[in-house]
Amino acid sequence: MLDVWLSGLQGILQVRELLFLALGMVIGLLFGAIPGLGGSTALALLMPFTYGLESFAALALSGGVMGAVPMGGSISAILLNAPGTAPSAATCLDGYPLARQGKAGLAIGAAASANSVGGIIGTVTVLAVLPIAKRLVLLFGPPEFFLLAVLGLVVVATTSRGKLLRGLITGGFGLMVAFIGYDDITGDVRFTLGIPYLWDGVHLVPALIGLFAVAEMIDLSIRGGSVAREAGNVRITRTLSGVLATFRHWRTVLRGSIIGTVVGAIPGVGGVVASFLSYSLTVQASRDPESFGKGNIEGVIAPEAAINAKDGSALIPTLAFGIPGGAEMAVFLGILVLHGMQPGPMMLIQHQPEIYGLIWALTAACILASFIGLLFVRPLALVTLVPAEILVPVITCIALVGSFAVDASIENTVVTAVFGVLGYIMIRFDYPRLTIVIALVLGATAERNFHQAMLMADGSWSIFVTRTISLILLAGIAALPCLPILRARLRRGRGSGPVSAGDQR
Amino acid sequence: MRPSTRRVLIAAGVAAIAMLAGVAHAATGFPAKDIAFIIPDGPGGGFDLDVRAIAPAMEKYLPSKVNIVPTNVPGAAGTRAAIEIYRAKPDGYTIGIFNIPGIYLQQQRGGAGFDLTRLSWLGRVGIDNYGLAVGESSPIRSVADLQALSQTRPVKFTSTGPAGTAYNATLIAANLLDIKAQLITGYRGSSDYVVGAIRGDGDAVITVIPTLRRMAEGKTLRIIADFEERASVSGAEDAVALGKPELAQIVLDRLIAAPPGLPEEIRAILAGALVRALADSQVIAWAKETDSTISPESSDQAAATLRSQIEFYDKWKPFLNPKR
Repeated sequence: MLDVWLSGLQGILQVRELLFLALGMVIGLLFGAIPGLGGSTALALLMPFTYGLESFAALALSGGVMGAVPMGGSISAILLNAPGTAPSAATCLDGYPLARQGKAGLAIGAAASANSVGGIIGTVTVLAVLPIAKRLVLLFGPPEFFLLAVLGLVVVATTSRGKLLRGLITGGFGLMVAFIGYDDITGDVRFTLGIPYLWDGVHLVPALIGLFAVAEMIDLSIRGGSVAREAGNVRITRTLSGVLATFRHWRTVLRGSIIGTVVGAIPGVGGVVASFLSYSLTVQASRDPESFGKGNIEGVIAPEAAINAKDGSALIPTLAFGIPGGAEMAVFLGILVLHGMQPGPMMLIQHQPEIYGLIWALTAACILASFIGLLFVRPLALVTLVPAEILVPVITCIALVGSFAVDASIENTVVTAVFGVLGYIMIRFDYPRLTIVIALVLGATAERNFHQAMLMADGSWSIFVTRTISLILLAGIAALPCLPILRARLRRGRGSGPVSAGDQR
Repeated sequence: MRPSTRRVLIAAGVAAIAMLAGVAHAATGFPAKDIAFIIPDGPGGGFDLDVRAIAPAMEKYLPSKVNIVPTNVPGAAGTRAAIEIYRAKPDGYTIGIFNIPGIYLQQQRGGAGFDLTRLSWLGRVGIDNYGLAVGESSPIRSVADLQALSQTRPVKFTSTGPAGTAYNATLIAANLLDIKAQLITGYRGSSDYVVGAIRGDGDAVITVIPTLRRMAEGKTLRIIADFEERASVSGAEDAVALGKPELAQIVLDRLIAAPPGLPEEIRAILAGALVRALADSQVIAWAKETDSTISPESSDQAAATLRSQIEFYDKWKPFLNPKR
């Protein structure tokens, strides 16, 4: 086993491969930071270029891109509330409030270190489970996917404490939006108003760019000033304490990494679920849940650890069965095929050195990208001081162009604009955006898999209790809403009040 | 596989087309700018890879040096790309790859906004045959076993949704084989529903042979029938052995076309470059490495292939789209 790991490492540790890794990393950081572009666009553009490369070089290049994209994505999420990639939308929730308080350095520092640690934990887990990966993937079928989606929805619903009704309203609205489009099971077309674009439903990335970036720019242009205007003085120098915060909150990092690894390995669920689930569970577990959404550093660490841990394990379904976890993996699959590596059960046997090389490349890119992120914290954080008159038009343009670039359709920009206004209304009237995002992501998955489970079982609900993993998930769903009540009881029993969550100064 | 005489004929045709193309270029000045090659899929899909492998080779055989730019237009089960090509100016600067019968089935359902028979067909890249497989641990060992099972309850096949090519292929094949079928639909792509069958979500799966073969090599899937007239998968029953030669008509053609009304000279240039690209050593090496079937056809043959597919699926229309 060890010799295969090492031969993979050897394949990557060549001058040429390292150069391609570095190139991929820079591209990944840039594409990750620009909303709408992300890893899939970067890989798609690089694809013809990899055609002429040897497989290790191509893998180093793609690994560099995929490992660095999350860091780029979180930088723009923190500084501008504009998630560069869909999973980093979760980082906006607390990262951006920190930036507004002038603590962008702290947030980016924490994101960078959580990134690296998450990446390493993810890699270790993948190396450990790769030999049994095939069986692992086969354990999850439609009933399990459905219950996982429900679990995700329940977790998020129970997170919006204090705003439960508002959370349910936005969650319900998100679900209705998620149900728009062509139904793959019945062949029916729902709420598409005769517009072919809506056949595939409301696209997630344009909607997220609207909900976060555009909404924020509307808000900023009305408020005036700059992102960190209220902060008085911007303390960029706190980067180091941000880095250390990750280690202080090691439980959050570990939780996030495990969630990321597990969710990543389940095909078709994807990074958005990983980051939001990690965020929600961290809020659940916190002794000071009220401080989240207002700039709690744990709210940055949790999603960041999950996003990077997920990258490694997302390779499992992609390589073992050719089922990509998301758009980025789909393009990466194409690059593999171009290089004569057909994903499938044989891939894990025939191309072991390449697979391990790729995993090493991913990990190295993730750690190095964090360092680069840290190096540029100071100039980057100055963005939060740019006056609204300059920042708003620039970011709005980038957001709309990025949204168009997702798949070159002009309709995306309309979606972004509509969700931008909606997002602003939500900010203005204090409705949580977490629930709408998770509903948008999981709505269609839940519906499709429920349908499939029913088809499998001829309409009998017993399928959810006769399969072991389903049963465990059901128990989890039933237990979750009881958790906060239980914890409140326990705390009252101990007679101690809530303790501040650390970095809330 | 097609008879090799066809390949010889094509090879002979290439020279003639190339000469015509040279003459045509002198007359039209085509191409003078980059050509968009539209792909009805996102980057990374099967059609995408075909185009990305062929485009650079095609560039070599155009009379002047321009780029052929792979352009992904995914969405609405291929309809978005088809509409874009259909409405583009017929000047040769927009061409696209089509999933036949997939996209025809969209047209058949009505209101699709394009008419395939009016497009200017340039040729065929390849063709895939279908087969039937079960999970490695399944007790089912032959089509006869499935037929027996079908006597007790409908046999469950995993598949994409009603807009998918495999969905319709499954319905037709099951009907031809006298198997009462129930489809578990909604999977996200061919790998996804094949894994569904391996996992035991359903009893069996019907899809294109290369996808099945890939999973079968890893000892996770068993191919029990190959719908070709003569099976290329060892141990699988073929259309003749099953006594249903019509099964061999269930195929997936990858055809290339330009918008309706493309001038004849430009059509000759593009079709010539395509045929020569498909015979290019680089493309052939790529196809071999990736297990893609390249089986070229000229523009007239491609148009005929489309007509025969339309005829086949029109015959099955009442069965595939029963009035609800």
